[in-house]
Amino acid sequence: MFSLKLLTRTAIAAALPTLLLACSPQTTTDEATAPQAEAPTEETTVAAGEDGELTIRANGEDFVRQGFVTKDGWEISFDHLYVSLTDVTAYQSDPPYDAEAGGKPTASETVSISEPMTVDLAEGDDAAEPILVKTVQAPAGRYNALSWKMMPAADGPAAGQTIWMEGTATKEGETIDFVMKLDPTLEFVCGDFVGDERKGILEPSDQTDLEATFHFDHLFGDGEAPPDDDINTGALGFDPLAAIAEGGTLDVDMAALESQLSPEQYQTLMGILPSLGHVGEGHCEETQLVDS
Amino acid sequence: MACFPSWSNGLQRLGMAAIAIALAPSAAIAHGAHIQARTTTAVEVQAAYDTGEPMAEASVQVFAPDDPQTPVFTGTTDASGRYVFAPTQPGDWEVSVRQAGHGDIAVIPVEADSVIASSFTNDAGLSPLQRVIVAGAVTWGCIGTALFFWRRGKQ
Repeated sequence: MFSLKLLTRTAIAAALPTLLLACSPQTTTDEATAPQAEAPTEETTVAAGEDGELTIRANGEDFVRQGFVTKDGWEISFDHLYVSLTDVTAYQSDPPYDAEAGGKPTASETVSISEPMTVDLAEGDDAAEPILVKTVQAPAGRYNALSWKMMPAADGPAAGQTIWMEGTATKEGETIDFVMKLDPTLEFVCGDFVGDERKGILEPSDQTDLEATFHFDHLFGDGEAPPDDDINTGALGFDPLAAIAEGGTLDVDMAALESQLSPEQYQTLMGILPSLGHVGEGHCEETQLVDS
Repeated sequence: MACFPSWSNGLQRLGMAAIAIALAPSAAIAHGAHIQARTTTAVEVQAAYDTGEPMAEASVQVFAPDDPQTPVFTGTTDASGRYVFAPTQPGDWEVSVRQAGHGDIAVIPVEADSVIASSFTNDAGLSPLQRVIVAGAVTWGCIGTALFFWRRGKQ
């Protein structure tokens, strides 16, 4: 009768050639047998050719709705943060769009909202839903790419401006009421939404949503992140803006910023604007068309 | 990462476990735990920021081709930003890797026998603008099954 020790060694010896391959970064072989992994709990079958409702939303996230502390210690709260959007287009992209690779999505279906509109990302209370841009009828399918342009608004509360930031900054007893009016023309082309849930999967006669997300922490930095974090090393912060405020007020447009900030600070600002747009946490191909 | 800690010791335990299951009376294994081992093929994903810094301990969700809503596998990357999963069917597998407000979804075309399609180019030629997810196929040996349970147990 075999001893247990001998039996163990025999079993290991028999398995050794296979075990030696484990964990090595080799090209795959064709010896696979599917493991008994956790099976999907439900299937999602997308049938093309029938319509549903596609809702486009714009989201400034908690930074805008709840306020935040900048990398240089200013507590910011927004009364209004208007962004002017146009040519919002959702794509059923095949192959899936890769923003890193750039270019345009190759789409089997597109749904466009061509008219310009201005939305206030600071609208609502701390727990408000992302801001509704528009709901449209759309063919069912996977909307896995989203693009939009930002241009100066022709009219409305942010007339003449692409981004209108209005609020209060407070630090160590000093308060600055600010209005920053920026008028660049930007375009963002993005892939699939990246976040807590999947978006853009539209079943026939059902509804789904997509989100144009704006990361204003790129502009001001994040006081909760380490100073050497990328989000802070690349951000302008609020100190340069506080330095050009007068009597506790800062009311500037792009021309005033260009003339009053240092050239380096202004270039930092201009470099950040094309990086504001995201799809959730997913990045976009970013274009600054012109500084109008 | 798909490497069993102290795998030589794990190997010995695995052999012992297999023998114990084979030799034990059937009544003794009622309600007992079963560990089966086999060889399969897995996909290894590696996520990094544009600086080259690995997305360590990042949240991972893996979606099967027939259900883009419900993740089949969830977990975290290791210190090198790596995560390994074994596709159960051919098609486009989607892998979401997220950390600290940044994330990406890679679509990995898997052919029969869990082989990554030769058309997949996400592992080369990417611009270093933000972050990258690269994927490659690895042979996931017979400790893979044990590893799977180990990973699930950590969640």
